[in-house]
Amino acid sequence: MSEQPPRAPLVTDAIPPRLRRTGTTPAGVLLMCVIGTLVLGLFASRDLVTWTQRFADAPGAPTAQRLVQKWDGWMAGLGLVEPHETLRSAVARLVDMGWGGGPND
Amino acid sequence: MLFPTFGFLLFFLVVAAALAALGPRFEAKKAVLVVASYYFYAAWDWHFCFLLAFSSAVSFTAGLLIAKHERHKRPILTVAVTIHLLLLGTFKYLDFLTLSANRLAHLLDLHAELPFIEVILPVGISFFTFHGISYVVDVYRGDVAVCRRPLDMLLYMSFFPQLVAGPIVRASYFLPQLQRPSTGPIPVATAVVLILGGLFKKVVIANYLATGLADPVFGAPTSYGGPDLLLAAYAYAVQIYCDFSAYTDMAIAIAALCGFRFPRNFDQPYRAQRLREFWQRWHISLSTWLRDYLYKPLGGNRYGRLKTYRNLMITMLLGGIWHGAGWKFVMWGAMHGGGLAVERMLGLGARPVSLWAKVVSTIVVFHFVCLAWIFFRAEDFAVASLFIAGLFSRWSQGVQQAGPFAVALILIGMAEQFTPVRLFEPLSAWLERVPLWGIGVAAGIGVAIVNALGPEGVAPFIYFRF
Repeated sequence: MSEQPPRAPLVTDAIPPRLRRTGTTPAGVLLMCVIGTLVLGLFASRDLVTWTQRFADAPGAPTAQRLVQKWDGWMAGLGLVEPHETLRSAVARLVDMGWGGGPND
Repeated sequence: MLFPTFGFLLFFLVVAAALAALGPRFEAKKAVLVVASYYFYAAWDWHFCFLLAFSSAVSFTAGLLIAKHERHKRPILTVAVTIHLLLLGTFKYLDFLTLSANRLAHLLDLHAELPFIEVILPVGISFFTFHGISYVVDVYRGDVAVCRRPLDMLLYMSFFPQLVAGPIVRASYFLPQLQRPSTGPIPVATAVVLILGGLFKKVVIANYLATGLADPVFGAPTSYGGPDLLLAAYAYAVQIYCDFSAYTDMAIAIAALCGFRFPRNFDQPYRAQRLREFWQRWHISLSTWLRDYLYKPLGGNRYGRLKTYRNLMITMLLGGIWHGAGWKFVMWGAMHGGGLAVERMLGLGARPVSLWAKVVSTIVVFHFVCLAWIFFRAEDFAVASLFIAGLFSRWSQGVQQAGPFAVALILIGMAEQFTPVRLFEPLSAWLERVPLWGIGVAAGIGVAIVNALGPEGVAPFIYFRF
């Protein structure tokens, strides 16, 4: 006894219609992106510093780096870099963990 | 410019601002998206923008000519497809063919050598070539109306979410979306869920599995014992799935945020109980492209068993070579082509019914796919052979490279394959009820968390090199 495998339809929308019933406008998308970026700027300022260092040769890079470092300093003063550092160090410990529970050789 | 970077975020902010500012002016929005897409592509190498524009011009002109000269449409199609394939062949396979010809000459003791040029591979050339061919063939077959607006063709070929790593979007699916603006709302909650899920798969699972297990073990397989090699093979299977499906998820979400629909490209492929089913779930846009533009024109399964096996073999061999110039990709394609042919030969087209048969079939198919991935991932054919030989030796060495974290990531990646997709829908439904600023805050915090969980810096997506 066997059943036939389902034949994939020619093209299926990745986001099905039932998930498209509600949503927003392009202006709403922009608002959401701006808010998301600001929140990301608050909590990911550490990576913002390393990111600007990758463009050290670009015009205006020193100014951008100075601004970003100042921003990161403010965020550190507010204690907002702590979640980032706690998570990253926790994952680093997990990565290094060996089968005995301690760090890998 | 990679999706999971601050650079892309800034780029997308500008695009979103332009789309919002233009309001209902659809033609202007398309023009903005074309400019943004060419800027996105130029971030890798601006020289190749000319190649992309040329490829678009070839398809556009061929479409118009086919519509105008109905009686000569076959030679026009042939010329257009040949130009596309010549471009692809020159950039992707010239070095491989030169090297292979020189090796053959050396074996035959001939003293002539072809000059080696070292052609730079333009990012995404395979994808936009397939878009171009898909359009011309669809116009030839009458499956899509001829595109008479150059702007639409430029956008179809270059739309930045899918430009460098797919999904391969058919002309018959995308061009109608350019006729008139979408009237429905933008599904922002689902887009955020897709982006966060994609980021987690890429930044956390794929990145750590690559750097912590797959890369070191595949780099020196003779230095490791059987257990590490086996886990590295599993790790690569999960890595390539998480890497590629993450890109696709983010591409789908970004296209949705721009007001467009993309097709589904992955459907939990490692739960397949047959190899045929695997190809209905893995890189669906490529497998259906190969089916409709290669397998079926070759005759498909219409001319008897032997020709069906031959057609399967040719399709998968070319599918393998599409991924790159090298014998290892030929082997990968041959294994899948052979596997599909054997499945048909044994009459295994149907799925098993009993639970045990389903479990055994899933395990067998998954391991066959992993075996093929070894050729796909290894540096070359010789390294793949050493890797496979190593799988059956040095088991006494135990596990050296694979730590509990890597094994946990493999298990998480595999668990995702068997989790009902609808389980994630309540999350989208809940987010839909949150006000827009709340979705923005949730997205910002979500991205910050995934960013902190991942290593510093993000490796390029695997499929960029194809």
